[in-house]
Amino acid sequence: MELIQLAVPVLLKGLWVTAALTLVSVLIGFNLGLGLALMRLSSNGLLAGFAKYYSNVFRGTPLLVQIFIFYYGLGEVSLVRDNAVLWWVIRDGSRCAVLALALNTAAYTSEILRGGLMSVPVGLVEAAQACGMSRVLRFRRIEFPLAIRQALPAYGNELILVVKGTSLASTITVLEITGYAKRLMSQTFAIFEIFAIAGLLYLVVNLSLIAIIRLLERFLMRHESQSRQGLSAPRSDESAAVS
Amino acid sequence: MEFGLWQVWEGGWVTAILRGAAVTIAVGLSSMVAGLLIGVVCGLIKWARIFPLSLLVDGYTSVVRGVPELLVIYLLFFSSVEFVTKVITAFGYAGLAESGYAFVIAVIAIGAISGAYSTEVIRGALASIPNGHIEAARALGLPASRIFRRIIAPQMLRIAVPGLNNVWQTTIKDTALVSVVGLQELMRISYIGANSTRHPFIFYLIAAVVYLVITLVSQAGFDGIERLLRIRARR
Amino acid sequence: MKLKVLTLLACLAGSMGSALAAEGELSIGTEGAYPPWSMSDANGNVTGFDADVGALLCTKLAVTCHFVVQAFDGLIPALKAKRFDVIISGMSITADRKKEINFSVGYAELANMFIAAKGSDLAGITDVDTLLKSLDGKKIGVQAGTTHAHFLEKRAPNADLKTYDTLDQMQIDLASGRIDTAFADQSALQDFLDKPDGKNFQLVGVKIQSTFDPTLGEGIGVGIAQENTELKAKIDKALCELIADGSIGKASQKWFKSDISRPCN
Repeated sequence: MELIQLAVPVLLKGLWVTAALTLVSVLIGFNLGLGLALMRLSSNGLLAGFAKYYSNVFRGTPLLVQIFIFYYGLGEVSLVRDNAVLWWVIRDGSRCAVLALALNTAAYTSEILRGGLMSVPVGLVEAAQACGMSRVLRFRRIEFPLAIRQALPAYGNELILVVKGTSLASTITVLEITGYAKRLMSQTFAIFEIFAIAGLLYLVVNLSLIAIIRLLERFLMRHESQSRQGLSAPRSDESAAVS
Repeated sequence: MEFGLWQVWEGGWVTAILRGAAVTIAVGLSSMVAGLLIGVVCGLIKWARIFPLSLLVDGYTSVVRGVPELLVIYLLFFSSVEFVTKVITAFGYAGLAESGYAFVIAVIAIGAISGAYSTEVIRGALASIPNGHIEAARALGLPASRIFRRIIAPQMLRIAVPGLNNVWQTTIKDTALVSVVGLQELMRISYIGANSTRHPFIFYLIAAVVYLVITLVSQAGFDGIERLLRIRARR
Repeated sequence: MKLKVLTLLACLAGSMGSALAAEGELSIGTEGAYPPWSMSDANGNVTGFDADVGALLCTKLAVTCHFVVQAFDGLIPALKAKRFDVIISGMSITADRKKEINFSVGYAELANMFIAAKGSDLAGITDVDTLLKSLDGKKIGVQAGTTHAHFLEKRAPNADLKTYDTLDQMQIDLASGRIDTAFADQSALQDFLDKPDGKNFQLVGVKIQSTFDPTLGEGIGVGIAQENTELKAKIDKALCELIADGSIGKASQKWFKSDISRPCN
């Protein structure tokens, strides 16, 4: 009981850091991911190739390695240290973690959105074209909203993976939930209890995230009839969302 | 010279890194097998809705998938060590001490995580087997074990391959997390190398390349299997 | 089926004793990343002062040594879980740790110091109180789970503490300017100053002895599981002999260029 009184306030302090890391990484990562997905689908071979290699490299290596390359690796390069802007990012553990997480989630997001965009029926796009919609308008009104609906369940999984990924920031001196849990462990040695409480916090965050996504899904699908099964079946491709 | 390529060669790190890569693959494979065993058992339980057990399985998968892998590894490594030590001692590995111990812990931790994802994949695959097939087999009076072997397992495997590919990729990448508790695998070796030579950039870059090779090669392997299964299915 | 496996495991587990170590072998937990106390190379061999102390101890006890490398903040949990018999890893004897494990007599003692960039405002400070006050808002590197970390948590609550798993990581960040100062024992910091990275740094001229605050402990000792009183008696006796005949002092000269051994009472 005493332990809970000691641990919970400290871990809650970490919760805010975890939430902030997630939010900023997701904001940056989603936009980058969208850009990458569009590049991948563009007819320009160079852009499509870059997006493909980017996604393969970031999905093919562990996040921990990426974080260490950015934090310890780039911190060694004098070119980075002498550049004020780069050093501002790399210097700080949490900014560095955000950078790594954002670039990482961008790769997965691009795959998910690409799947969503490809599922948009060609007929709809052609119809919009026939109506004389510009490319931007077409994307905003037709392709993007449909793609997002299609991609939302997989993107929900990805969000959870980002939340879990923030725990790795503890390895580069950031004090978020896991970082505080480790510090508490070496103070109290009540290992199981501390990590159980920390795990519970993550679980609460992720379960509420799932609930929010479900609500959003229902909201976006409010015009659809009950033909949900037909929609979610051909989505084997981008279930690559497991990090 | 800034990045210390020379030290990598000179300090004997190349063989160390290769050795680490071998350990990484060994941990990955063992965890994947352990995870598959868990996945098939739990997947079947979830699919067949065997009542009290399915609740347990639900709890297991949502906890493991909702809690960071790093936390699961810390928890298993620091707290349940006593239990694991006893199990290892019981199996006569007392002399194996450090490396064997860390290896077993790693496989238990990563296997448990991998198992949760496998469970979902297997359950999904089972769910997509047409009910009619099983009913037809029952109508023919086939015993349950035979239905599983002849009807369920082959179809399930084929459908599950792409999902299991994803699980394998996740599993091999998760092994990097075991480095934080001291198993001398690829990431740990790179970490020791980076710290002792003071050239983190080159060491972590090499680690990234080795991981990339592992994931790309296994991706090609899975693509091959998928193609093979598709051809066999068509015939 | 599941039940069967569980009972089987339980039986096996119950029938086996708790000790991991085979007869005639002493397994030693150490950090392997804390020069010059304990370092490990590409092949996993452990060297350093603690490796020498371990080897001397094993010779005295007529057993073979076996080193297990483990991050510092995981050493006590691992000892409690009987992963090894003793900890020899420059570990200070503190009241908090004594609640978890037992310690031998102290075999060494070192002053704790801060390090800072030459010419920085911290570098010129010469008394403890000014030093502790001027730590407010500073980024201080410290190793996770050490007495140094606990000391700063207590005495410099307004500092921005950065905790590292290993000293090497902390030194990388010190060299790159991510942290303003670092707190460790004198020998570990001297090791950094002797490297090319350390050329722009100096020790802050304040030696903080362990008598200054109880969080800093009472010298460095060998960690032993609480119930293992027989082993503690043996190790205490062996250590006292090794200190008395100068063997530990000689090892200390080799690694620290001075005798840091602590007289045995």
